[in-house]
Amino acid sequence: MNLTKRTMLVLLTMLALSLTSTTVLIAQNLTVKGIVKDAEGKPIEGASVLIKGTSKGANTGADGSFSIVLNAPNNTLEISSVGFKTQNVAVKGRTTINVTLEEARSQLSDVVVVGYGTQKKSDITGAISSVRNKEFKDQPVSNLAQSIQGKVAGILVTTPSGTPGAGLLVSVRGANNPLYVVDGVPMLSESNSSLSTSYNTNGDEEGSGQNISSISDINPDDIESIEILKDASSASIYGARAANGVVLITTKRGKNGKTEFSFNSFAGLQKVARKIPFLDSKGFVALEEDARKQDLIAYNQDPTPFNNLYPGFDPAVLTNPLPASWNTGVNTNWENQIFRTAPISNLQLSARGGNDKTKFFIAGNYFDQQGIVIENYYKRASFRMNIDNKVSNHVSIGANVAFTYGKNRRSFNDDTYTGIVTNAIGASPLMPVYNADGSYADYTQYQASWLSDNPVKSAKAIKAFTTNYRFLGTVFAEIQFLKNLKFRSSFTTDYTNLIDNQFFDPITSDGAPVGGKAIEGNYRSMTWLNENVLSYSNSFGKSTLNAIVGYTMQASPNPEKKVVKGQGFPQGSGLEDVYDASIITPVILPPPIGWGLESYLARANYSYDEKYLLSISARYDGSSRFASGHQWGLFPAFSAGWVLTKEKFLSKSERLTNLKLRVSYGLTGDQEIPAAQFSNVWTPSRYDGNAGLRPFNIGNPLLSWQQNKMFNIGADFEIDHGKISGSIEYFKGDRTKLLAQSVLPATSGFASQYTNAGLIENQGVELSLAAYPIKTTNFSWNISFNISYIKDRIKSLYTDNEQLFAYTDLFPSHILKVGQAVGTFLGYKYLGVDPQTGNPSYSDSLQPIGKASPDYFGGLTNDFKYKNWDLSIVTQFSIGNKVYNLIRTTYQTLGYSPGGWDANNNLYQVYANNATIVNKRWEKVGDKTDIPRASLIFQNYNQQSSQFVENASFLRIRTVNLGYSFRPKHPVVYNSMRLYVQAQNLWVLTNYYGFDPEVSSNGGANPTTAGVDYAAYPQARTFTFGVNFNF
Amino acid sequence: MNKSISHNNQNHRTGSASVGGLGIQLCYSFSKRLAQLKGKAKSYLILCLTAIVLAGSFSSCKKLLDVSSPNSVADAYIFTSVSGLNNARIGMYSSLQDKSYYGGYFPLVSECYTDNGTTGGYDVIDLNDIAAKAVQPSNIYTTGIYQAIYNSIYGANEIIANIDKVPNLDATLKSNTIGEAYFVRALCEFDLLRMFGEHWDKTSNYGISIVLNPNNPKQAVARSTVDASYKQIIADLQLAIGSLNTYNGNQYVSLSAAKALLARVDLYYGDNANAASLATDVINDNNFSLFGPSNFASIYTTKLTPESIFELKFDLQNQSSYNTLTYVRSDALRTDVAFLASANLNTFFQSRPTDLRSALVDYVNVDLSIQPDGRTQKYRGEQTKDNSGFIIRLAEVYLIRAEALGNTAGLADLNTLRESRGMPDLAPSDVPDSIHFLNEILDERRAELNFEGHRLFDLARTNNVSTILGSTVNPIMPIPQREIDGTNGIVVQNPGY
Repeated sequence: MNLTKRTMLVLLTMLALSLTSTTVLIAQNLTVKGIVKDAEGKPIEGASVLIKGTSKGANTGADGSFSIVLNAPNNTLEISSVGFKTQNVAVKGRTTINVTLEEARSQLSDVVVVGYGTQKKSDITGAISSVRNKEFKDQPVSNLAQSIQGKVAGILVTTPSGTPGAGLLVSVRGANNPLYVVDGVPMLSESNSSLSTSYNTNGDEEGSGQNISSISDINPDDIESIEILKDASSASIYGARAANGVVLITTKRGKNGKTEFSFNSFAGLQKVARKIPFLDSKGFVALEEDARKQDLIAYNQDPTPFNNLYPGFDPAVLTNPLPASWNTGVNTNWENQIFRTAPISNLQLSARGGNDKTKFFIAGNYFDQQGIVIENYYKRASFRMNIDNKVSNHVSIGANVAFTYGKNRRSFNDDTYTGIVTNAIGASPLMPVYNADGSYADYTQYQASWLSDNPVKSAKAIKAFTTNYRFLGTVFAEIQFLKNLKFRSSFTTDYTNLIDNQFFDPITSDGAPVGGKAIEGNYRSMTWLNENVLSYSNSFGKSTLNAIVGYTMQASPNPEKKVVKGQGFPQGSGLEDVYDASIITPVILPPPIGWGLESYLARANYSYDEKYLLSISARYDGSSRFASGHQWGLFPAFSAGWVLTKEKFLSKSERLTNLKLRVSYGLTGDQEIPAAQFSNVWTPSRYDGNAGLRPFNIGNPLLSWQQNKMFNIGADFEIDHGKISGSIEYFKGDRTKLLAQSVLPATSGFASQYTNAGLIENQGVELSLAAYPIKTTNFSWNISFNISYIKDRIKSLYTDNEQLFAYTDLFPSHILKVGQAVGTFLGYKYLGVDPQTGNPSYSDSLQPIGKASPDYFGGLTNDFKYKNWDLSIVTQFSIGNKVYNLIRTTYQTLGYSPGGWDANNNLYQVYANNATIVNKRWEKVGDKTDIPRASLIFQNYNQQSSQFVENASFLRIRTVNLGYSFRPKHPVVYNSMRLYVQAQNLWVLTNYYGFDPEVSSNGGANPTTAGVDYAAYPQARTFTFGVNFNF
Repeated sequence: MNKSISHNNQNHRTGSASVGGLGIQLCYSFSKRLAQLKGKAKSYLILCLTAIVLAGSFSSCKKLLDVSSPNSVADAYIFTSVSGLNNARIGMYSSLQDKSYYGGYFPLVSECYTDNGTTGGYDVIDLNDIAAKAVQPSNIYTTGIYQAIYNSIYGANEIIANIDKVPNLDATLKSNTIGEAYFVRALCEFDLLRMFGEHWDKTSNYGISIVLNPNNPKQAVARSTVDASYKQIIADLQLAIGSLNTYNGNQYVSLSAAKALLARVDLYYGDNANAASLATDVINDNNFSLFGPSNFASIYTTKLTPESIFELKFDLQNQSSYNTLTYVRSDALRTDVAFLASANLNTFFQSRPTDLRSALVDYVNVDLSIQPDGRTQKYRGEQTKDNSGFIIRLAEVYLIRAEALGNTAGLADLNTLRESRGMPDLAPSDVPDSIHFLNEILDERRAELNFEGHRLFDLARTNNVSTILGSTVNPIMPIPQREIDGTNGIVVQNPGY
């Protein structure tokens, strides 16, 4: 059809031209070449050059050049590029057209990815934040979520542990664990590792400790943009999984033009950002002498408490000289022994190109991060290929394929009594690392009883690996069967195989009694997704209508998780595989159950004159997580926008170039509970060599979605075409029918049952601002700032009473209580130190003593450019969050010993070494301090008290990046090269005494026990040198 | 199952219909344009619609939303066959092995609340509270024990409630299985009463919450009186005695096990005559016999010795926590070991120089940090960690009969046990009255049964807690705070908490 038209056109043109006796060859005349540059004369790559009114076009190459075959010599070209004002150029028969695009500060024409489609920023009526690749590229982080820390209002990204490859705690408007959608494929960030780094006091595994995030499988370098759907109206198109917000991740795709290679690499060094200052040998001994001196004074005043505690107490233990082992001259700094300066490097090579028919993006990446704790590392190799092919004017097809291999030498840390950092905290400085014969020093022979093994031995002789294979592949086809009607169908598979191997050498204290022990875990899952979406768009006069309907199915039919333990290895054989053990036992785990989700979705966006905007959407989800009859749920949403600056009364405003008011309301759901909680099931058990079954749960057939009803009102504004722009949002969400483990009467036989109960109200205000205070040819300065205030309060619970939660097997450390926030700490209130006696006192009853979530958080980013130099400084802050520093009791024991003296009253062992903070302790009558006196006999600290709840507000300089770019005027060998140096986590301002105020030793897995510091892996400070090379 | 599928499809059809309707509307609105379309575009449209239809039918075939686990079995299938019943029976024994119950905590927590034991560990507040005999209602150990015991009751109640449904069940097997279930329920009820109820006072209102069927698990159950609790326990044991008919080895519940347990209950309840008579039946059972001084220690190194009447057997596939909680490894520090033998127990054995049982507590080969406390040697085996849970042993049955018969008639039994442990006989003049005799019994029980979970209950039932453990010590544990919260106060707290 086009062909005939074109032939006709050409014939007519020829006729016309011949009539004016021009003799130039027509075919050549129809080709226009040119270069697109910016105001500074730098070529703009990837700019779109379209023949106006058609879909025919080309993209500029890295040198800014384009070439396009016109339909007619009088065509008009529409030249556009993100960040620049679109320009129309009439060709008027010219063959060479050089265009200079004016930089558009306005982001209104930016295209934003939304669920099942894209929208112009100016048309958006929901609360969506967008982060572009240039804002997070080159960061030395393994998890993409880390790179948006502090950049987006309403999004709190916390690093619960500094472990390479560890999961992050991502909270969207106070709700944890959003749904991630990678190129349209919904997935959860789960920890599929069965390896526990967390052991309780009895050596039994407990919880997961470190969370190994499946989102770490996505290479941040491949990502073009990250969009966060914050309010219910934008997220509800993901229905039953969107209650905690949705993070859309879009990877890079091919572009029209010359194939362009890009090489990005950095290498650098990391070191622990903060060490806790510990007492040296002399200080350790001095503390003990003071403890005994203070006790003696107290004993002479009143011996009763001593005799109550130790009947027949002999004060000689307070006066006998310390044994010779306290004066060996050994002075080990254990932090220096387990921490190291560790290299980090990243290599990424990608190629991007294509023509009218086929476009491609291919990339390979290798990331290698050595841990700042000895022996630990994380390595990841990933490959990606995104291809688009235009089969005809009506049909296009494509594929996205990514494969990731990850290997993690796990650091035995975080939330464990036997961890490396845990052991190093409080180890005696009088203990050497090695004996004279080179063997590891035996910790039981030295002065601190806290630790469970020589920390260096733990690091080296406990070998734990998690190896991960992830394949993510999509094929899709798009059929434009009418001008306004398009159909897209895709099929995706997401395959994960994750293998855990852990070996405790027989020389470790855990492995010794059993001759070495090992664990092997194997997790496999295959999730498939089929999506079919029909979309329609049309304009009628001033009205524009975009609509989609779709049908999707997603299922993970047979996930498998198998764990085998072995113990007893051939002595000195070096064998470490679990199958070499003398005793091999399978571990019974909660049954892994597949899941399925079937969904219908529809959305219509209507705009009148780009002034009044309206959007209505709904998703109808059916989930296997619930009993039949409760499987289907409808998640509707509505939003509207009003662009005031298009109205007459504001359209003449010169300064205020855009003002849009938005309002939205919608319903989203959450279905994330273990599968099959709706019915009673029995689980395998054994007795006397026989297999049997025992009741596993009490099912709740009425179980249904958790619901999040959210109201959002917001405004977007721009002043002077984007010189200053920003958004302000207010939201109020009611999270109802919470999927919670309600307390059952124990008489039921079970502790709890999944129930829909309770209400959490959360509300907040978010403000984001961006400004370009200075913009000259040589120098520019951009600022962006965001701050969020979020308050969540429990309005009702399953029972009217409170619910207690224990972080470990220590004691109940958290409480859920009406009127309090989720993640509220429970303990005795610390009433301070008596200036007369130096003794601490505490309240009589347990009470809420702080909360883990911040009141305010946000970030400030400054970007500077001077000629070829650029500098970016990203800061991040959090105010009002507290940390329950449970591990601090280990290094603030003030000389206490639980009876560590022998029959002759010679002291040989105390609890632990202390940090230098104990130098601020009470020492004499009248001292005013909140650190009690030292004592050998009495425990002058209480772990279950507000004494160890610390203010963890902080201000962090997260990234400083200084770069210099080379841009040859006539690119021959290469197009551009940028060299940079970067510092990550450069500086932290905080009163928090532990390694880092951003910590959550439960890996962020459970918001009810959040905010505990139990010797989590510290965060690193990283300095890197890198290059971005385009050729 | 069938019902669920059909319901499922119904929902699915509703969904299809609505989208189908939308599709039809769309088709209709474009029908005019469609007519104008050329063949190629038209065929694309047809292709798309076919794809949608195919996708829809594909999903309904696959029953996308009907997912079941390969590793669990739905409730409805358990009691549909004899082998299913046996699965539930094995599961019931397995539930007794829970770490919080006879897998470790139940006996050890109670021991370390007495003068037999103390606690070590890494400064764990709730563990320290046990040794300090000042347990908070929120204590996670006692909370776990309370929950674990009711979990076993649930399993027993499932069998009791559903056994009639099992087709083709042999009457003998049915009777024995239901007997086992009644035994387990009675054992659980009695353990709850001893740890959380005022078991020494029949007039007390602080008994246990009695749950007799699994039908209404979420219903809060108020506490019965102590007397009603005893009556329920005795009734369950009498049913067990009437039903048990097969001896499957002492790792399973047997008639003698039920009689021995009832003898223990009767002794607590004050029905000494019945206690003595039941004990006699057990002592006369040829399946069981006392070891002598030379080999009695093999109780703790060999499984299922004839001294055990009911012993919860663990194996490599199914390890218990006793070793991890009481020994760990030879050079363990105090911080490594949760439950230690107290110095007081050492003093006690020092006063009994010939008692061979003193070798089962070690105060010498322990790290300095543990001294003057020590470690029990009853649960050794660091490699295998498959130490048994001793629920009822013959030695205890002799002691029950001795105590029930009193200082004259009972002395012979006491001496029988003493002889078998290398102790000299007591002369009648040593135990001139019941008070002296009871003290000897209590000492003997302490020597024999330490670290097997008896001391606290013996002291409480003989009203010795305040004199021996201290006047401020509560003889029972608090009802878990979680239970009081979870029942909105229907279950009331014990006095003193």
